[in-house]
Amino acid sequence: MFRYFLKRTLAVIPTILIVSVFVFMFVRFIPGDPARRVAGPDATLEDVENIRETLGLNKSIPEQYKDYMLGLMKGDMGTSLKTQRPVTYEIGQRYMNTVRLTVVSLLWSVIAGVLIGVFSGKNRSKWQDYTGMTLAVSGISVPSFWLGLMLISVFAVNLKWFPTVGSEGLKSLVLPSITLGASVAAIIARFTRSSIIEILKEDYIRTARAKGLRENKVVWKHVFRNSMIAVVTVVGLQFGFLLGGSVVTESVFAFPGLGSLLIDSVNFRDYPMIQSLILIFSLHFVVINLVIDLLYAGLNPEIQMQ
Amino acid sequence: MNNENLLNEKHEKDLNYKRDMRSPFSEFVGKFKKQKTAIAASVFILTLIILSLIGNKVVPYDYSEYDYANVLQGPSGDHFFGTDEFGRDIFSRIIIGTKISLFVGLLSVTIGAVAGTALGLISGYYGGFLDSIIMRISDVLFAFPGVILAIGIIAILGPGIGNVIIAVAIFSTPSFARIVRSTTLELKESVFVKAAKNLGASDARILFKHILPGAMSNIIVYYTMTIGSSILTASSLSFLGMGAQAPSPEWGLMLSTGRAYIGLNWHMTFFPGLAIFLTVLSFNLLGDGLRDALDPKLTE
Repeated sequence: MFRYFLKRTLAVIPTILIVSVFVFMFVRFIPGDPARRVAGPDATLEDVENIRETLGLNKSIPEQYKDYMLGLMKGDMGTSLKTQRPVTYEIGQRYMNTVRLTVVSLLWSVIAGVLIGVFSGKNRSKWQDYTGMTLAVSGISVPSFWLGLMLISVFAVNLKWFPTVGSEGLKSLVLPSITLGASVAAIIARFTRSSIIEILKEDYIRTARAKGLRENKVVWKHVFRNSMIAVVTVVGLQFGFLLGGSVVTESVFAFPGLGSLLIDSVNFRDYPMIQSLILIFSLHFVVINLVIDLLYAGLNPEIQMQ
Repeated sequence: MNNENLLNEKHEKDLNYKRDMRSPFSEFVGKFKKQKTAIAASVFILTLIILSLIGNKVVPYDYSEYDYANVLQGPSGDHFFGTDEFGRDIFSRIIIGTKISLFVGLLSVTIGAVAGTALGLISGYYGGFLDSIIMRISDVLFAFPGVILAIGIIAILGPGIGNVIIAVAIFSTPSFARIVRSTTLELKESVFVKAAKNLGASDARILFKHILPGAMSNIIVYYTMTIGSSILTASSLSFLGMGAQAPSPEWGLMLSTGRAYIGLNWHMTFFPGLAIFLTVLSFNLLGDGLRDALDPKLTE
């Protein structure tokens, strides 16, 4: 078990290294002269040279990579071209907002998704199943920015129950987290349903019924617990979806998090900021998937045996 | 005499075989016909395709014509979905916009599918060094949450619908590569592939005649499902200002313009969003139907 944990954890290191090279190469991928592009069309030659200096583009590539990695180790991700403040400062200001939003979205969508999935699965081909699965396929297909704007239009503008924008207090999290979590809840519901249907076919379920257990006990104790092992892995993958989705949702609600910061930075061609944000998003994604994998191994006795 | 008997026997076997086993295709058609929602979805998609071809002949108004006497009108008999801030007819704009969304969705996923399939075949069939390289790169691409990768690519290439297609194609490639690779690994060990190899068939022949057809059903299902999500991603990017630019009647862009008028003119965001929703929904329902009809495990 310990060996599996160690092996899986060490396997992440090369991925993280390659990701860092990718992100480092990012500014260098810009066609033509990156400094010129970053400076924008109206910049003077002097501005361009300044930017070349700031981004360290006047050195050789390996040297630049060395500087970049050394900086990262010290927690230095460069300076924002827009605010002239350290990138880490800007990110620190908004980091917790995005964490709060993603965690709240994940929580409700896991609970709702699992419940819908269980009720659909155990009532296969009945009205509960059709209702649940219609909801789920709609949740997967709905554009989150549209859902967000419609929620704003009804609950914030017309009914005035929630604020339209911002991140003050719990109330301001309600509409954004509904928007962000909808598709995740839908995917989890579909996955839970098929997992439940698979498990219902197992011999031990027949045994449980044969020995006279009440149906509720069979479903919640035997079917539910066993199907959750598979659902855990999907939740991990969905986290990446939430991180990506946060970009769109935060922009819709003008929510001051990392996602809306990314969009602002792209529009401002603030490359050090874009670079660092992409690195942070992917590091989180990789680490969360690692945690989920380990959790999965911990939950599933079959993997422990190997 | 003996030979004739053998031939007769073989002929009889063939006849029995035909009676017992319907061709995989007719079996698929039989199963697919039972999927009512998937059929409805295909009809809707077909309508969209027709509209994208002849849209400019059926729309009631010119999609780009300004009409300052009729700005920001709600839905009515004259303007089914109302008008926008320049008095342009939203219904006509949505119909004309069909072309853009379908084109972006289909083209980006097709590029991703072709590239991913080729890489997956190579990776699974030849294995070794090439396999590790391809899989490492796909691991790295998987380390970026989808939309973030697309935004990164747009940040490098600059905004525009063409770059959106490239971005979506790049991030759908590794999934196809993985799916095709795993099927290739499985089929490579099958008896018919080994037999073909022993008969001296070339690698290309084995890959395209024996392995690719086996992987096809997985590819088709995944392809259909990815079209839906690609249309979503592409319209999100346009919504964020990274894809289509004004005055294009792209649905995501129309929504983003309508945002400023959300309080009183809900129709400006409602209808383009509904168009995206129904289009994506149809592709997802079609994908579900194809999956159920093509999956041999799901026999009743």
